[in-house]
Amino acid sequence: MTAPALELRDLSKSFGLAKIIQGVDLKVAKGERHAIIGPNGAGKSTLFNLITGKYAPTSGGVYLHGENVSGLKPFEINRRGLSRSFQITNIFPNMTVFENIRCGLLWTMGYKYSFWHMISGQQDVTEKAEEILEQINLTSRRDLLAGTLAYAEQRALEIGITIAGGADIILLDEPCAGMSHSETALIVDLIRKVTEDKTLMIVEHDMGVIFDLADKISVLVYGEIIESDVPDAVRASVKVKEAYLGTTLEDEGV
Amino acid sequence: MALFLVNILDGLVTGLLLFMLCSGLTLIFSMMGVLNFAHASFYMLGAYFAYQISTVTGFWMGLLVAPVIVGVIGALIERYGLRRVHKYGHVPELIFTFGLALLIEEVVQFFWGKSQMAYSEPLALDFAAFSIAGNSFPAYKVFMIFMAMGLFLVLLYILTKTRIGMTIQAALSYPETVQNLGHNVPLVFMCVFGVGTAMAGLAGVIAGPVLGTFPGMALQLGSIVFVTIVIGGLGSLWGALVASLIIGWLQTFAAAYNVAMEDILTAIGFTKPENIWDHPLQDLWTLTLPQIGPILPYLLMVFVLVLRPQGLMGKRET
Amino acid sequence: MTIASKTPLTAGTKRLISLSTVLPWAFAALFLLILPVVFQTSSALTIMNQMAITIVFALSYNMLLGQGGMLSFGHAVYMGIGGFFAMHVLNMVEYQGLWLPLPLLPIIGGMFGMLFAFIIGSFSTRRAGTVFAMISLGVGELIAACSIIIVVFFGGEEGISGDRTMGPEFFGMDFASQSEVYYLTVVWLMIAAILMYLFSRTPIGRIANAVRDNEERAEFLGYSQRNVRWISFIVSGFFAGVAGSLFAVNFEILTEENLNLATSGSILLITFLGGVGFFIGPIIGAIVFTLLQTVLGLYTEIWSLYLGILFVASVMFFPGGFAGVIAMHRRPLSLGKLHLLTGPYLKVAIPAVTSILSLAAVLEILFHKRHGFAGDGAMSLYGITFDSHGYQALGLAIVIAAISLFLVSRITPEIKAAWDEANHAGDDQ
Repeated sequence: MTAPALELRDLSKSFGLAKIIQGVDLKVAKGERHAIIGPNGAGKSTLFNLITGKYAPTSGGVYLHGENVSGLKPFEINRRGLSRSFQITNIFPNMTVFENIRCGLLWTMGYKYSFWHMISGQQDVTEKAEEILEQINLTSRRDLLAGTLAYAEQRALEIGITIAGGADIILLDEPCAGMSHSETALIVDLIRKVTEDKTLMIVEHDMGVIFDLADKISVLVYGEIIESDVPDAVRASVKVKEAYLGTTLEDEGV
Repeated sequence: MALFLVNILDGLVTGLLLFMLCSGLTLIFSMMGVLNFAHASFYMLGAYFAYQISTVTGFWMGLLVAPVIVGVIGALIERYGLRRVHKYGHVPELIFTFGLALLIEEVVQFFWGKSQMAYSEPLALDFAAFSIAGNSFPAYKVFMIFMAMGLFLVLLYILTKTRIGMTIQAALSYPETVQNLGHNVPLVFMCVFGVGTAMAGLAGVIAGPVLGTFPGMALQLGSIVFVTIVIGGLGSLWGALVASLIIGWLQTFAAAYNVAMEDILTAIGFTKPENIWDHPLQDLWTLTLPQIGPILPYLLMVFVLVLRPQGLMGKRET
Repeated sequence: MTIASKTPLTAGTKRLISLSTVLPWAFAALFLLILPVVFQTSSALTIMNQMAITIVFALSYNMLLGQGGMLSFGHAVYMGIGGFFAMHVLNMVEYQGLWLPLPLLPIIGGMFGMLFAFIIGSFSTRRAGTVFAMISLGVGELIAACSIIIVVFFGGEEGISGDRTMGPEFFGMDFASQSEVYYLTVVWLMIAAILMYLFSRTPIGRIANAVRDNEERAEFLGYSQRNVRWISFIVSGFFAGVAGSLFAVNFEILTEENLNLATSGSILLITFLGGVGFFIGPIIGAIVFTLLQTVLGLYTEIWSLYLGILFVASVMFFPGGFAGVIAMHRRPLSLGKLHLLTGPYLKVAIPAVTSILSLAAVLEILFHKRHGFAGDGAMSLYGITFDSHGYQALGLAIVIAAISLFLVSRITPEIKAAWDEANHAGDDQ
């Protein structure tokens, strides 16, 4: 049996006394679309930051294709084929849309820290970037500064940058946050299109998106995974209903 | 031993003076994220204003009024200058305060010229407070120590016992919480900047008579102040205190003990080459401790940064 | 997997070196060649050499500030180090018979600038922003202070001097004349400027921009922000060293002044005034600054006060510098609406110039009053001689300033309206 694309083993993270993630075990098989849901403050973003190397875990480990990557820096993890998007739009605002995508391509296309290539002469990069622009429907915005795009377009660009490097594991942090219904539908289509044959982990509040997209759903409550199963089973789970309802009420009580 | 004691006291004076500048700088940095490059310029303004006032009313009025004027000018600069630049980010803010430092130096030269002002300590404090084995210690330095300690205690009281102080402390540890303050954030910023610069002004008032009141005084102290807070850890008040004292003593002791490299080298068995002034290692042989005194703070900074990038007591590496 | 590009046309044309890229460079080269034919005096040549050196230095500074988002308060160190090493090599050529034609000297200086940038960058580029700025300041002060102590290398207070004419002849030139040095300097100016321009077009150059904009994002794209900054820093150190060598060749002396905070500060000022967001910005800045320094310095003692005011005003109101102000007019130009602005601009020109001149007069009179010799109130300004201690001249200057400022404030709304109109695309277009 091959190792899962992404595996978390007893992963924990504390900030001072606050235990945000408490012993998470999770396996995401290659090609699976895995969604993480949970109430606010459950630790979803922290989990993403642990996987991608923004934070170092307090204990436990993160494994990519069986290799322990915990403690590595974000760029080292990225080079091993994992890429992420951000909940708050995180693009290069003073560069053009085209350049944003191109930045996502350079490392994996082998240009690395090169100062002996002229970038505009590299037709492979240009073509690949154009192709991605086409995929995310931003070809018409090619030469605008990314900071001047509309919100929904910036979200699409965010996804474009994330997938540009061709990583085989994609983590999307609330890609549909703050979007209208029609925009959400477009983004979901986009996600489906660009993550074909890839392993996807997604955090999202919109349940419609989750049940539409995910092969498997894990429910994170107070830093623990209380259920991890196929959508129908999660929908039916009593445990999930209780926990979800309970914490939601508690959240509102604060 | 007696000389040692005198140096301890002298170093304390320098260290506390540094801390008066560093504490204001740290307060401003922690609350607003702005490193005020012109901080030492406000220190200079304090000295000049106090001098100008003292020519009319004597030292004590200057001590009271000059820091207030400096603080008001600081607050106005925050309101009408810095706030405008704030939206461009921290680097432009830093460039702005750098420009301010240049401009203040020019303005000072415009009004007072390039030469040193005859600003001196008040007659009431112009005597030797005590002497240690023949080394007399001026009363004015005792006064400086008390002023700096007093300021430190007031600051400590405000930070730990008052509501606004608690807020500031929260902001020191968690910069992002400043945004969540229920208070009028722009007003708080303006006040913090005003108070911080007033503290620098006060330091200038009391340091002017000892270190000299001249247009280069900001530059002379400015770099050391920044080095101090980098060593202490950006945003750490305790770090600033520790680093200030370390640098104060480092500089005082280096200046006081005339240890020559030649003595050390001969002691460990090297022979001094003939004709030393043509020798490639002449600097190594002729070096003395007082000579390298001025570069010690910078060397210390490089060491601290290499070994502990967040500074002595800094928590964040940003 | 084969990628069929949907837009091969754009991709293809981008690859060729287009005429629009080469033309400005060719034009600049031609301009530099004929410049000494027009200005032949020795002092003019000195100023032009000074300008060329400052341009190289400012461009290398902008690789940090503009391209990489690193604010340095100690960039003079790399120029100075390069210059000092170049000077020592020059002396080795003279006294130890080292064979090195003078035009190759900047490579040596550049290498040493690069070496120091490599060492210091190893710990200073871990962070950008404030921390980087403070470290650069500390290191700058450290090296400047060392220059007094390490006499063998830095020459103490007198500095180190040399003679550029002692090397082997280079195609019949011994570089004794100013004009030969001019050509050496501008050839290096062109080389350095073109290389720095090309660097900004390489993958690492583009990623330096990305790290400047958003270092976190760049890390999640596979790039170590520290390494990206470090590389930019090293390359910038090379060109600073080249500038330092050119300084050594031109002035044949280097002192502590070439390393200190004042020099580091003025290159920040020059670059920022020129405009950090544009490749041409530092070039404009260096030219304007050198001219201001030499011309304004002749007429007034307080020129650096004006410069300080100009700098602070620029940070507050025109963070794009001169180049930014020019670039602001690109959009009206492309919309064909630039003519809308000429009227209001012409209208404001006279009151604006008057207000600047009269405000300067106020400052000059005040300055003269405070610092003129006792009993000697005679001063002349704009060709008029008067008594600075009387109140008439000061009063007049203040009144003129007030009136002209009032006029400017009346015309401002008109300019703003014209500006909005000129920038409005007009949806029908």
